[in-house]
Amino acid sequence: MKFRAKIVDAACLNHFTRVSNMIAKLAKICTLRISPDKLNFILSDKLASGGVSMWCELEQENFFSEFQMEGISAANNEIYLELTSENLSRALKTAQNARALKIKLTNKHYPCLTVSIELLSVSSSSRIVTHDIPVKVIPRRLWKDLQEPTVPDSDVSIYLPVLKTMKSVVEKMKNISNHLIIEANLNGELNLKIETELVCVTTHFKDLGNPPLASENASQARNPEQMAEVHIDIRKLLQFLAGQQANPTKAVCNIVNNKIVHFDLLHEDVSLQYFIPALS
Amino acid sequence: MKNEVRRRLLYGGPHRPFYAVKRNSSLGKRRGRGGVKSRSFEKRGQHPGTRGRQAEARLATRLVRAPAMLKCGMGGSQVKVFGKAIQALSRVSDELWLDPSEKGLALRSVNSCRSAYGCVLFSPVFFQQYQWSTSVKMNDNDTISNLNCKLGMKSILPIFKCLNSLERNVESCKIFTRSDKCKVVIQFFCRHGIKRTHNVCFQESQPLQVIFEKSTCSNTLMIQPRVLAEAIVLFTSSQEEVTLAVTPFNVCIKSSNEESMDLTSSVHSEMFVGPDEFDFFQIGVDTEITFCFKELKGMLIFSEATHAPISIHFDFPGKPMALSIDDMLLEANFILATLADEPSRASSPQSLCLSQKRKRSDLIRSNSKAGKNVTSKALEHISRKAAPKRLCPNETLTDISALENCGSPPLKRVSGDVGEVPASSVRRAEEVLGSPCLRKHLEDAKSHLSWENIYFTFNNQSIMMNF
Repeated sequence: MKFRAKIVDAACLNHFTRVSNMIAKLAKICTLRISPDKLNFILSDKLASGGVSMWCELEQENFFSEFQMEGISAANNEIYLELTSENLSRALKTAQNARALKIKLTNKHYPCLTVSIELLSVSSSSRIVTHDIPVKVIPRRLWKDLQEPTVPDSDVSIYLPVLKTMKSVVEKMKNISNHLIIEANLNGELNLKIETELVCVTTHFKDLGNPPLASENASQARNPEQMAEVHIDIRKLLQFLAGQQANPTKAVCNIVNNKIVHFDLLHEDVSLQYFIPALS
Repeated sequence: MKNEVRRRLLYGGPHRPFYAVKRNSSLGKRRGRGGVKSRSFEKRGQHPGTRGRQAEARLATRLVRAPAMLKCGMGGSQVKVFGKAIQALSRVSDELWLDPSEKGLALRSVNSCRSAYGCVLFSPVFFQQYQWSTSVKMNDNDTISNLNCKLGMKSILPIFKCLNSLERNVESCKIFTRSDKCKVVIQFFCRHGIKRTHNVCFQESQPLQVIFEKSTCSNTLMIQPRVLAEAIVLFTSSQEEVTLAVTPFNVCIKSSNEESMDLTSSVHSEMFVGPDEFDFFQIGVDTEITFCFKELKGMLIFSEATHAPISIHFDFPGKPMALSIDDMLLEANFILATLADEPSRASSPQSLCLSQKRKRSDLIRSNSKAGKNVTSKALEHISRKAAPKRLCPNETLTDISALENCGSPPLKRVSGDVGEVPASSVRRAEEVLGSPCLRKHLEDAKSHLSWENIYFTFNNQSIMMNF
């Protein structure tokens, strides 16, 4: 098993740092999947995170100037590593003005992801900073749980409003109740609802637009005014929204009535999918 | 041993009422700096309002003690530096000594397990106004005692909390105290005519002092604080200890972790810095020393305020290291214990004898068996028990009885105009620690003790007082 990668471009480095920060906010411990053309950050631990799952994908050639990997075997040319995401984001934070950043998989008493940063310094000699992030190699028999989740056939698909606005609304609602109802229809309307004994609060977002549907049959059968709704835990939604630093290039929300809500974001060239199941 | 320490805390003695007049003069050998007047006894008797008690006053003068006093004033920009010093020392321990002398006002702090000591000495030039005096006990022997003022960090730190707003609003600051008043008065004269007064109670306690001969360390580095600050960013706040590894070609600051690590916590980080980033780079011995991160951060806080480079003086693992800032106006020293490397060293614990003061009491001289093995510097390292322990404050004082097995401390001879150190008395103190003999020495010494003649021994990270 081998993995070596290098970033020399400052913009790519910043972007990678931002992705890493976002992952650190979304999942405490996540899985990093390394394959010849992609890097994936995966959170798929149903029980621990209360059913939330995350799949983040980035094309390695958009970031790394050099990228070499050798998986477990020729047939299974992938590496799955489990790590604490905050460690990686903190290590990358020190690479603000780096000349070059190298990541490689090493074994120093235990498997590590070694992040080696060459910093520019005032004097001629450059400073070298090394971080050894401990990782756990996930055996192949557990890989099946970490595959890309299938996008469910959604009842409604809608574009999301500005995430910052949504986040501030949800933050205030959190103080009232833990149980949030998210509903949307094919008319570009999205509602966030809180219901308690004393008070009922609803925030309406209008004219959001809907992405074109995959299958024609579904769209004809469904009344555009009809809302599809899911009852979710508000804290999970808030955690998802808090992780989004910048406004994404594309943000779609797919709702399967009373089952699951699926967020599909695209931050420049990094795709992020987040699934929040309905409260039982 | 603890009894001795406690008794010493009361050394300042119970307050003796002196009815005649307030005086702040020091008589005898020592003169305070500036603003000190000396008066004769007769004059005192003529003070208005004391006629009825003249006779009593004259009698009382023989035994009277004039209170030691400190009075200093500084401008708004100095308040920030002063406050930063207090903040840095708060990282060392929860108690702070205010120790005025002719060299200036020293703020001292020692942590509970005696593995870190911080001292910031503000020279008189730092202040707009600086007056101090010692108190004099008029006995058969003139003894001089200084302001023995120990403040709780919890009381004084909040006063200097928001330094940026203090810098903006405070035009001047006055600090004064007297040893008979039991409190330190800190006054801020702010803009718009606002005056803020804080009264902080203090405890009478003799300051502990560590003297560390930096010039004799084989490794010295001087570096801009900015570089160190960049290194600090690498480590998490939960990092307890860091290791500094030096070779003549580079310097490496790295996180120091225990053997057993778990997945979620410990990232091992290291930063290599080349020699040309240092203002001064002298490495005599390739070495790796490990010390507490918290105190390093404390020192960095202070260095941000002074913009002066930080000097690091160190030797081999186990020997204390010094972080210091030397400026025209102030001198800051943080002496930190370092982790001793091999367990084998701990088996022959050697005492760390610190502090030489030029004036020595006669008692010490009489205790000295022979003039040989004179030393004037702190040499020994802090040794540990066999199992390596962490340095940082949750460590308890280790067993002093191990001292009885100690070998002879290799004390070196150093030239210079320093007084003799009775090395043999040091050894004797070690060997008989806990025995009645030492207690008696301490009792005898107390009556002759001048505040300067305190020195203590680091051994197994515990402190011993030698007189």
